[in-house]
Amino acid sequence: MTLLILLLGVVVGVLVGLLGIGGGVALVPALVYLLHMDQHLAQGTSLLILLPPVGLGALRQYWKQGQVDLRAGILCALGMLVGGYVGGWIAVPLPSRHLEGLFGCFLILAAFLLLRKPESPYRTTVATDEEPARD
Amino acid sequence: MTEGPLHDASIFMAASVCGVASGLFGIGGGVLLVPFLALFFAFGQHRAQGTSLIALIPPTGLLAFLAYAKAGYISWKTGLLLIPGVFIGGVLGGWLAKRFRPRRMRQVFAGLMFVLGVWQAAAAWWR
Repeated sequence: MTLLILLLGVVVGVLVGLLGIGGGVALVPALVYLLHMDQHLAQGTSLLILLPPVGLGALRQYWKQGQVDLRAGILCALGMLVGGYVGGWIAVPLPSRHLEGLFGCFLILAAFLLLRKPESPYRTTVATDEEPARD
Repeated sequence: MTEGPLHDASIFMAASVCGVASGLFGIGGGVLLVPFLALFFAFGQHRAQGTSLIALIPPTGLLAFLAYAKAGYISWKTGLLLIPGVFIGGVLGGWLAKRFRPRRMRQVFAGLMFVLGVWQAAAAWWR
């Protein structure tokens, strides 16, 4: 059981680094279906895991390539802190069943957001390890 | 369009929306933040992902976490066991992201999330 949990962490971590996300979106369903947690418990546990900077190692790779906007990142962190308070305040009193259903809808939305073709005027998704000058 | 208080304010607002999702669903919020940065603020994909990762370094979910903790919705043992794995996996994923085109990965992951989402919504409301 312990081994399964440790392994699950690594799998989720790969997604964190690869997709630049927190990992909660993969963690919560994994906790619900693999470890049979209740929806609230899974979400609270996921938030616990995200408290330490689990993405730090992944960030280093992006940082070395200059693919980080520090100012925007700080603003986002502040916004998410405030928004998180509101979200937690809504979620805690909700019946688990409705929270689970809502989470399902959110996953569908997230799937579409991930699928969209990134049409950035600046850079495409092609791996960019060749050209950046390493200094 | 990349400077100025208005730009800063709109990034803050967009991130607040991600924060609500973060607290509501117990997630990091990056899954919304990355597409938001790319769609509304013209960030390239790698830059959006890197910026999302840095936004997740401080404990942005702290206030939401406290709300869940107060209600007893935390499994400490499982959570603490998962942390080292997520960290190590993150290093691996960041390394992979440089070598691969993450687009195919995103498609696979999106497909998985879609199926899980439909399944979960159906399981919750159709019984």
